[in-house]
Amino acid sequence: MSILTAAQKQIQADNVAFVAKEIIPFAAQYDKTGEFHPYLLDAARESKIFAMAIPKEYGGLDYDALTQAVVLEAWGYGCAGMATTLAASVLSMDSVMVAGTDAQKKAFYGPMVRGEIGSFGLTEPSAGSDAGNGKSTAVKVGDEYILNGSKCWITNGGYSSVFVIYALTDPAAGMKGISAFIVEKGTPGFTIGTVDHKLGIRSSNTVELLFKDVHIPAANLLGKEGEGMKIAMKTLDMARPAIASLSLGLSQRALDECVKHLQQQYPEKAQPGQTLQFKLADMKIEIEAARQLLYHAMNLRDAGLPYSAESAMTKTFSSDMAMKITTQAVQLMGTFGYTTGIAKLMRDAKIMQIYEGTNQIQRLVISRAVLAPARPAVAVQKGGI
Amino acid sequence: MSILLTEEQELIGQSAREFAKEYLDPIAAELDHTGQFPAAIVKQLAAQDFLGLFVASEYGGAEAGYVSLVEVVENLSRSSAAVASILVNHSLAAYAIQRWGDAAQKQAFLPALAAGGTLGGFAVFEHGPTPGVGPNALIATKHAAGWALKGTKAYVRNAGAADVYVVLACTDPAAGAKAQAAFIVPAKAIGLSVGPLAETMGLKGCPVADLVFDDVVIADSALLGGPTDGQTITTETLALASVAEAAQTAGIGQAAVEHAAAYSKTRVQFGRPIATLQAIQTLLAETAADCHLARLGLRCAAKLMDDGEPFLVEAAMVKQFLARNGAKLLIDTVQVEGGFGYSEFMPLPRLFRDIAGTTLLDAPADYPEKTIAAALLA
Repeated sequence: MSILTAAQKQIQADNVAFVAKEIIPFAAQYDKTGEFHPYLLDAARESKIFAMAIPKEYGGLDYDALTQAVVLEAWGYGCAGMATTLAASVLSMDSVMVAGTDAQKKAFYGPMVRGEIGSFGLTEPSAGSDAGNGKSTAVKVGDEYILNGSKCWITNGGYSSVFVIYALTDPAAGMKGISAFIVEKGTPGFTIGTVDHKLGIRSSNTVELLFKDVHIPAANLLGKEGEGMKIAMKTLDMARPAIASLSLGLSQRALDECVKHLQQQYPEKAQPGQTLQFKLADMKIEIEAARQLLYHAMNLRDAGLPYSAESAMTKTFSSDMAMKITTQAVQLMGTFGYTTGIAKLMRDAKIMQIYEGTNQIQRLVISRAVLAPARPAVAVQKGGI
Repeated sequence: MSILLTEEQELIGQSAREFAKEYLDPIAAELDHTGQFPAAIVKQLAAQDFLGLFVASEYGGAEAGYVSLVEVVENLSRSSAAVASILVNHSLAAYAIQRWGDAAQKQAFLPALAAGGTLGGFAVFEHGPTPGVGPNALIATKHAAGWALKGTKAYVRNAGAADVYVVLACTDPAAGAKAQAAFIVPAKAIGLSVGPLAETMGLKGCPVADLVFDDVVIADSALLGGPTDGQTITTETLALASVAEAAQTAGIGQAAVEHAAAYSKTRVQFGRPIATLQAIQTLLAETAADCHLARLGLRCAAKLMDDGEPFLVEAAMVKQFLARNGAKLLIDTVQVEGGFGYSEFMPLPRLFRDIAGTTLLDAPADYPEKTIAAALLA
């Protein structure tokens, strides 16, 4: 059990119910076809769940970080692909929350409140773990920037209304020359490239974004020129625990499916032997530990305290756990697991160790902090850097 | 590695590797995509004598033993573990008939199994917890003409493609595990039908389906071994399956680590190939070491089989080692390739899906521990 307020428990229950009705029955079908699930946006519109991170004054639900984590866990339990759609949309607005002006927030949050989604565009073929090595450029001409280049593996890209795109305004300055921009769907010169077919989270839309002389108003610059990398890093600090939530949901689902299967397999009073019982116990121990680390990280963020290290640790711990537990679930269920939706959990879990910064990058950050002398970290304040 | 292989075994392995490069590399991705049984490839396996590797020469086999079998399985699996699965499941039927068949049964089935005119399948599982001792979903009752089989076997590989199945059935539901018998059942037997193909995570192209027996009447001569030998036949044949699947795993893992190593030399991040980063080197090194240790373990078990020694414990140890570390071979190599590696246009996702099928299935999850502990405590 965890300590949630009555309001948080209600939100959790509402989302568990939504997931049971609108996600779980359709997850296998969309996993099979690899298609996006536009119906989901219709189903979620009334609840405004895609606006869960948006402050009240902009029409959003204004959920704190812990509540967002609880929601994403419930969605991850149902389908990590569909949960990725939600997590990635929240990720895009996190950049605006970090650095946006009031006018920018109104412009970006408006579509979300209406039930539309957004995308965060940082990664390029040359800029994966080396996130600052992108080649896309934005050149200022008058009161516009002209954007050229491409982005890859952009979640929701084919269906988003609004995008946060990172591009070099000063290529000579390297990482310090990166800036962040709000780009709207349909801006001339901005097109969607190839759609990526993936091992898992197949119901989430992953595409290439192509920019050819795309004119964007200078007013769409987030923060100042050259602040892009700083904004991106703060955004990812906020977003990484979302992957822990999804991983937690996936792991809990795997455990529940194992238990359900074993109960069906063994006659009423018989139990699996201790070898299997203890495997289940280990799963449960790890899931609870992961949940507490996640909730702790979220409590730190909600309290305005530094949480960057906890953000990296909860992402790494939960995603490694999800890979392990989903693998064990397939093993516990044998061929039944291999020929049913259980196998999907294992395929979905693999991306958790990769996206939002690979677990190698997280360990790099964590080990640097372990080895370095103590130094003060900076808290992320809502609404500014 | 050659100190562990005879010259003949090494040559057989090399010929399998060359065969796989020429015939399997070009079709592996397509086979994964369509899942269509590769009948033409199976004919070519027969032409290479791979279908009768351990079958005695008097029945037209190569009589090259089980180390040769696992060498071939590993080398085929480096290109297509699905094709290797067809060979492995065929081999289980051939093994059971050679090991427990009488002279007439061997003469009737082994020459065709070895030559490739007949493909074999092994039907042991049921929709229940424990193979062979589950709900006894297939019942064999005495009949004027021999035996009548009624019920269902689950998750049968090579289902629909095989010409002959070795089938486990219960002769006395009240007696459970002790009353298991094995039968040789031709696919054409009246009343035998194949259920819909299961959708598997990987190993696509090796069909998996239920076999449904609707009062299939077979002669007394179809009984393999004695009427209560079924449990022994199951245990030993599944031990061979563990060893052969370990060879599939080692082959898949070897292919993955070689691909990831090559990728890491070309992928530049932070101004240098990621191969120069120790974090990447560690992932590759751990994968290569686990592959190597799996190979040693599985060859040891296969050598024991060649020597006619007990091999069940060693087979269980390999199975246990890979239940813990097998899937990790792909979890970690996909990690090396990052976001690219997760995309289906790259080869490792297929290998990831396949290796789950070669490491995690075919026995209750606590089977290896039970087997090893029982031997220690006997």
